[in-house]
Amino acid sequence: MSTHTKKILNGYHVVFLAQSAMIGSGILTLPRELSSVGYSQTFLPILFGVFASLTLWPMVWLNLKYPNENLFRINEILLGKGLGKILNVLIILQFTLFIAGIINKYMHLIQSTALPEQTITKPVLLFLLLLIYIVNGGIKSIARFCMLTFFLTIGIFYFTYWAVQKGDFSHLFPLFNFNGKELFEAMGKGYLAVLGYGAIMFYFPYIVDQKKAFKHVLTGIWISISLCFITVLISVMYFSEWQLKHIEFSILNLLKSGELSFVERFDIIGVTLWVFLILTTVAVYLWSAKEGIVSLFSKEKKYYIYVLTAIVFLIVRIPFPQEFQDKFFTTVNYIAYFLIVWPSFLSIIYLLRKKQVQP
Amino acid sequence: MNKKILLFTTLIGLTFLVGCSRAEHKVPLEEIGLAGIMAFDYIDENKVQLSVAIPQHSPGAKASTQVFSVPTELLSKGIVDIEALSDKKILFNQLRVVLINEEFARKGRVERMIQHLYRNPEPGNKVLIAIVKGSSEELINADYPNKPDINYYINDLLLPTINTAFNPNTNIHDFIYTATNPVFDPLLPIIEKKDDKLEITGVALFKNNNMFETLTPEEAFIIQDLIGKKKLAPLSVELNQGHGKESLMLERVKSRVKMKSNKNIKSPKLTISLFYKGTLVEYTGERENDLHSPESLSKLEKDINKQVEEEVKKTLNKLKELKVDPIGLSENFRMYYDGKWTKEMTEENISKLEVDIQVKTSIISTGTLD
Amino acid sequence: MKYKLVRTTKVNMQYKKAPTVESVLAEETVKALREITNHIQDAVFKDIPTKEGMVTIIHSNSLVEKRTLQEVVLVPLCNHIHQIHQLATPVDLKEFKGIIEKIGGGHTLLYFHQTHQLLSLNTYSAPTRTITDTATESTVIGPQDAFTESLDTNISLVRRRIRNPMLKNEDRILGTESNFRISILYIEDLVNKENLDTLKQRIDKVHYPIFTDISMLMQSIEDNPLSPFPQYYMSVRPDSISQYLLDGRIVVFMDNSQAAIVGPTSFFEMFISIEDYYNRWTMASLLRMLRFFGFFLTIMITPTYISALVFHPELLPYELLLNLQESRSNVPLPPLIEVLFIELIIEVLREAGSRMPTKVGQTIGIVGGIVIGTAAVDAGLVSNILIVLVAISALLSFLPPIFLMSNTSRFVRYIFIFSAGFFGMYGQMLAFAWLFAHLLSLNSLGTPYMTPFIPRKATDLLDSIVRFPTAYLKNRKGISRAQKK
Repeated sequence: MSTHTKKILNGYHVVFLAQSAMIGSGILTLPRELSSVGYSQTFLPILFGVFASLTLWPMVWLNLKYPNENLFRINEILLGKGLGKILNVLIILQFTLFIAGIINKYMHLIQSTALPEQTITKPVLLFLLLLIYIVNGGIKSIARFCMLTFFLTIGIFYFTYWAVQKGDFSHLFPLFNFNGKELFEAMGKGYLAVLGYGAIMFYFPYIVDQKKAFKHVLTGIWISISLCFITVLISVMYFSEWQLKHIEFSILNLLKSGELSFVERFDIIGVTLWVFLILTTVAVYLWSAKEGIVSLFSKEKKYYIYVLTAIVFLIVRIPFPQEFQDKFFTTVNYIAYFLIVWPSFLSIIYLLRKKQVQP
Repeated sequence: MNKKILLFTTLIGLTFLVGCSRAEHKVPLEEIGLAGIMAFDYIDENKVQLSVAIPQHSPGAKASTQVFSVPTELLSKGIVDIEALSDKKILFNQLRVVLINEEFARKGRVERMIQHLYRNPEPGNKVLIAIVKGSSEELINADYPNKPDINYYINDLLLPTINTAFNPNTNIHDFIYTATNPVFDPLLPIIEKKDDKLEITGVALFKNNNMFETLTPEEAFIIQDLIGKKKLAPLSVELNQGHGKESLMLERVKSRVKMKSNKNIKSPKLTISLFYKGTLVEYTGERENDLHSPESLSKLEKDINKQVEEEVKKTLNKLKELKVDPIGLSENFRMYYDGKWTKEMTEENISKLEVDIQVKTSIISTGTLD
Repeated sequence: MKYKLVRTTKVNMQYKKAPTVESVLAEETVKALREITNHIQDAVFKDIPTKEGMVTIIHSNSLVEKRTLQEVVLVPLCNHIHQIHQLATPVDLKEFKGIIEKIGGGHTLLYFHQTHQLLSLNTYSAPTRTITDTATESTVIGPQDAFTESLDTNISLVRRRIRNPMLKNEDRILGTESNFRISILYIEDLVNKENLDTLKQRIDKVHYPIFTDISMLMQSIEDNPLSPFPQYYMSVRPDSISQYLLDGRIVVFMDNSQAAIVGPTSFFEMFISIEDYYNRWTMASLLRMLRFFGFFLTIMITPTYISALVFHPELLPYELLLNLQESRSNVPLPPLIEVLFIELIIEVLREAGSRMPTKVGQTIGIVGGIVIGTAAVDAGLVSNILIVLVAISALLSFLPPIFLMSNTSRFVRYIFIFSAGFFGMYGQMLAFAWLFAHLLSLNSLGTPYMTPFIPRKATDLLDSIVRFPTAYLKNRKGISRAQKK
């Protein structure tokens, strides 16, 4: 069914799709997630980058074997229809929960800074309406939105200038001051911030120049990684280890350090402008989930997105106790790691069943 | 087509949602009291007298600032009590100054109060903290005939200026940063009411979350210099190096600190190099008519170096005795230490520390002096 | 239709009745013609004896000027009748609809009694406006002439500037009831054929009784007619239209409409005035930035006022905030209503000013502005700082050279005001995201509306917010997808 997908994404689109899907709510709390290694966290993002590049390779390799199919279809081809469909349902479910997790986290930030003493039902609703509007435009619209978001929000970094000035570069040393357990904990918590690149497996069929897709996604990944690196670097310079561990949204506090004569505090503008970054990430995931449903029913229907969004809304708004919510979303996030390793596994299956599953 | 419908539902939805906003009443600006100063006074171990100064905007009001004061155990409870006293909702979004009286600083749980403010997203990072000699409540309530508004007055006083270069300008972030960073001990300026005006009379040194010792402005000035503060205050030196009593003023254009440790925490040794570059703007003393040749100037430079070295050494020895490290000297050792650095290690380090100080002054011109 | 059928048979019958006697036949024909044209009240019939016998001329009195008739028809008819035969086009006597259209279109019909021939000459000379300078898009530097409501004049104004044999114009008849001409202009070896076909298809599909201005046509051939943003460039300046033609764009003129529309265009081009190319590049760049960022300012200023007052008092400097508190302390309205109130007053002033006669309008505008402004502050209805902000944003909204864009910015501002009133800065950012998502999804004749943000060509950036010196601007824009570079 998806053999006639139109090739619409050029190189720039791919770069920024990969880039924007990675920068979302994760980077907001990244220094805290990495705080178990203390000041030595500075170089972890680079390690993440290497990891991401390594795991990206089997994804693109597999996709190149089936240039017109997305991961959902590849699952069905390689694992057989029944097993593939079950797995796809799980992936869609995971995506939905993941989206809910991202929105939940961001709304928590909004509620505590921009809209105190207010329920977040309506802000979430409005956010989701806008999300549907963006996703309905198709993957190319999302890609364009990602590009614009990057250039619009990159300016936020200027406001960390004061933090850099006040910060102390010597915090970086000694470079590798941690043990294996601490590193493992930091990796486990922090890698979530850079997960989004896996979405390549879903929009791959739409890419014009698929041969170069690996290079483009890699560029996107390393743009994001350098942004993460800068964030972590500035946080390490500016904060004490105690602060790194106890400040939930370190970016918020970095922005607070800025001083302008006409705007007293930039943190509110920064935090609300962040909605662009959240929108792009969530839009890519929602679009992928929608594609999943399309492949499940082999039919393209508009209402899929509405149903998905409604589910997301319910998950975000069901009054679970905070503790349960945290645990729930953390578990969901860990399942996301599975998706990163999955293509390597699929590649092995592909090699084993090469004869039977020729595209 | 669907997209267009969605566009319109979004627009219409927005309009309708605004209609709902009546239910959640937001207090508009004029019904808000924007606290400018918050002050803590010691009552007993658990209780603290919380005072909040709110500037008045109504032109008819007699006093420009309204001060509310309640005894409380918890900060947030105190704020609720004050809101009950006032007719307005009190917000801390524009909080500028936190005052702590000396007794509370010495005995109370300062860190907890500041941390509470730091956790709250309302106040920004610009909140400056200062210690008050005597009662801080009285200080806010006092009448300053030359100053229209106490909020601006204290805030302006605490902001960095060249004349009070010894003032550490500790804001809420700095305090938490130095208090939680094992290599630092916090510094806070002390203000005092003298007649009709306020004055920064010294700097309070903290240790283990409580005020511990007072430093004179001169000592504090050297500490700020060693921290490497960017604001270049003129350096005034009283020379006593074999030429009788001399005093001079050096307008610095460049100043740099360099620290080099021997990376050994067993027997720590630190080499501190200070570079000053500046214009000699004023001089009184024996050599007044003798400062034309480069030789005589370099002689003077050497004398300045010696004098500054002595003063720095004196201050550092004091810190060494007190076992506190407001400069963060131990950072030079932590950098090379694998493992967790603790407050105790800083204490031990500073008490064992051997310091080698080298000052290098270069007078680039004698300014308008002839 | 029925009428036409009956008449045709009647004339044919008349033919058969007396085919040999010419004069009788001619009289019959003239009679028939009279009957056909009887619903054109001002149709004039005149018999003129010439060398070739009697000629009846028929024309519409209101569409043909006496002088033109004299010059084009009467003088040659009496003196050099061979000229008439050379110039005139024959008309089928049986094609009644054609005859009526000819007369209605200002042609003069000549019926030769002897040869039984019907010829037509274009004598259309309805009263038109002379070419004057533009009131809506005036510039200080550059040509001052503007289009008029006459299609032929407009095309001549363009052709005068582009002496290129490749400049083509295709005419269409439009309006299911009104039947008048539009003309599609393009340069054949430059224009992108795909764009041209799309536009023609869209125009052919248009089914609407009457267009009184080209802006109506524009709305029915847009990619997204529901969007608040205009998706064609609209101008009354021949120089600006010629420049776009030479860039490979397609221009549509309409009879009886002063402006012409240009497609494809982009969001950014709405902020370009032709004067930018006449100005020095430094000043032109400055002005462009002013207009472009002015658009974002005008939709952001008053919403930010609401956000800062209701949601984020920490945004503003302390001193300003205290001033605001003081000026707001007498105002009974919540900020959202306060802003809406004063914004609507500005709209009313603007609307009333544009309806009133010019002389009265100016006075009322000033008096209304000052009196209502100060009085509203004194009465404690609004705060004085808001008056300043609203005035600035109203001025900023008039910066775009395309008036439709300026209207759009005013509309979009209300969306921002409402979202700020409800969610503060968060709402504003959501609205901002919506604005960009919407702009990014828009197309103009199939090309993205947000070029050069989505650059088609690297050289586009030389002529974007910063206008580079003229020597760098030789390349055509990527958006036109022209055949030649």
